Amino acid sequence: MDLFLSIGLDAVSYVLTLLLVTLGLVIIYGMMNVINMAHGELFLLGAYTVVALQAVGAPFWVGFVAAPLVVGICGLLIEQIVIRHVYGRSIDTILATWGLSIAIKQVIIILFGPAAISIANPVPGSVSIAGVDYPAYRLVIMAVAALLAVATYLVVYRTSIGLQIRAVISNRGMAGSLGVNTRLMDRATFAVGAALAGIAGAVMAPIMSVDPQMGVGFLIPAFLAVLVGGLNSLLGAVVGASTIGGATSILSSVMAQASAQIGVFLLAILIIRLFPQGLWKETR
Amino acid sequence: MVPRVPVLLSIGFAVALLVAPLLLDDWRLSQLAQLLTYGLFALSLAFIWGQAGILCFGQAIFFGVGAYVMALVTLGEVPLLGTSQWTGLLCAMLGAGVVALALGLFLFGGRGLTGAHLAIVTLCASVVVEIAARRWDFIGGFNGLLGVPPLMAPWERDDPYLSSIETYFLILVIVGLVYGVLLWLSRSPFGTLLAAIRSNEDRTRFLGFEVTTAKLFAFTLSGVIAGLAGALFTAQFGFVSPPLVGFALSTEVLIWVAVGGREVLLAAVAGAMLVRWGENLLSDRLGQYWLLAMGLLFILVVVVAPRGLFGRLLDLSARRRS
Repeated sequence: MDLFLSIGLDAVSYVLTLLLVTLGLVIIYGMMNVINMAHGELFLLGAYTVVALQAVGAPFWVGFVAAPLVVGICGLLIEQIVIRHVYGRSIDTILATWGLSIAIKQVIIILFGPAAISIANPVPGSVSIAGVDYPAYRLVIMAVAALLAVATYLVVYRTSIGLQIRAVISNRGMAGSLGVNTRLMDRATFAVGAALAGIAGAVMAPIMSVDPQMGVGFLIPAFLAVLVGGLNSLLGAVVGASTIGGATSILSSVMAQASAQIGVFLLAILIIRLFPQGLWKETR
Repeated sequence: MVPRVPVLLSIGFAVALLVAPLLLDDWRLSQLAQLLTYGLFALSLAFIWGQAGILCFGQAIFFGVGAYVMALVTLGEVPLLGTSQWTGLLCAMLGAGVVALALGLFLFGGRGLTGAHLAIVTLCASVVVEIAARRWDFIGGFNGLLGVPPLMAPWERDDPYLSSIETYFLILVIVGLVYGVLLWLSRSPFGTLLAAIRSNEDRTRFLGFEVTTAKLFAFTLSGVIAGLAGALFTAQFGFVSPPLVGFALSTEVLIWVAVGGREVLLAAVAGAMLVRWGENLLSDRLGQYWLLAMGLLFILVVVVAPRGLFGRLLDLSARRRS
């Protein structure tokens, strides 16, 4: 029973962090039809912001606050310099952002070296939940991720800014002619999507070994989650992240890491093949 | 009538490759032969991507399958087949073709996947295959297979191994033949059908063409060519290892083709050769900055020159400017 509870908690914490990365991807795709292959590197930038600030002696929470700001600004720059030139060329956005991902990863390697760096755990100790000792910091991660996911949902569905965002997603030309500043919306969405990935990176940094390859490790599951859940829908992202994150946690508790990875990928490929529109649309 | 510039440049490119052995020493010549092998690999991707509009992020799967089959056969690991290189090459093409056909049936059958879905699924497939190759002991697991014999003469003679100049010409002839076949295909009615699929798949389907069959054929052919390139690679380098089937090489070949020019077959070859040559030349001196420069060049090409560096220069189908 304890074992199930701890696997369950692991699954929930993985699902929630995956959800943070996935939400950014979905917002950016829904808004601009940009498949952002560099999203994993935005995650990476968040983690390395924490690393850089730790190196100068700042406490973890400073890094945690700085990460979304830094990555958000990077997002703005990326949108301005690269992405806006490839709007409307869907395949080219994949290629351009793929080039970005290579470039950002190399910059990180040049600045910080290829080796893994560890971050001190800001909330050591563990909490007892129904008889299971669980690391306290993982609970913090879950809380942060859940709060941000709910906040994103509320902003998109309950505010006037969210209304404008949804208007641009459903009909860009019409929204523009009704006075919505679509250019500003694009910029803001990309920056916010990037910032979400940045927070995810910062929050995950203490429990992962921070190395330049960690972005790819998150990008592929996040993409699978987006496609499994269905593009264009925030709730689809929840469904997708739960499917991929849950399957990963459960499979890796019963078999070797590599086999579990293969299992999850095959499962995801199969779902994408059978439900190209995503699970969420199919079940609605 | 004066031939158009792209025709002249294409012929010039071919002549340069033909006379290269006169100017280069043995070591450089074998390097050029390796570059040509990468060019062949790029050719396979340029055919499905540039002609049929199938963006495949897993092209290295077929390259790797070809490489592994060639290594297994020539090392005598496969019973009943002997260790002949010709059997190896044949089996490599066959094996890669079968894998491509199977993957193609899965991808294009029924409603089929396109665009981003196709890219992500093929990307995942290449990751899966690489992880599986690392764990499969029969094909050498993590280390791969070593000691694959180099290319040999098809008849009995004193020194059975091909010299570097013979290897070079063998590969040049193979690349030339494949290029010729693909060029002919892309200018035949079938090529027109592929171009129609590229520009609007649904409309082509509604007009009554067998879109799925055409895509399957192109995909399988591309797999066969990638497998051939993989087999030649193994014979030249003497080893295979899991990265050859994986994600990294798949994306690298994509960069070569994009930098060269995805719509023009010869431009893709030139792109692959240029990028790999640059890597050999500069990666020692620039270290980590080389990959950074590569990433930035890739972004620049995609954003500013979607037709690639050589796309316009070598485009044989371009209309003559009046």
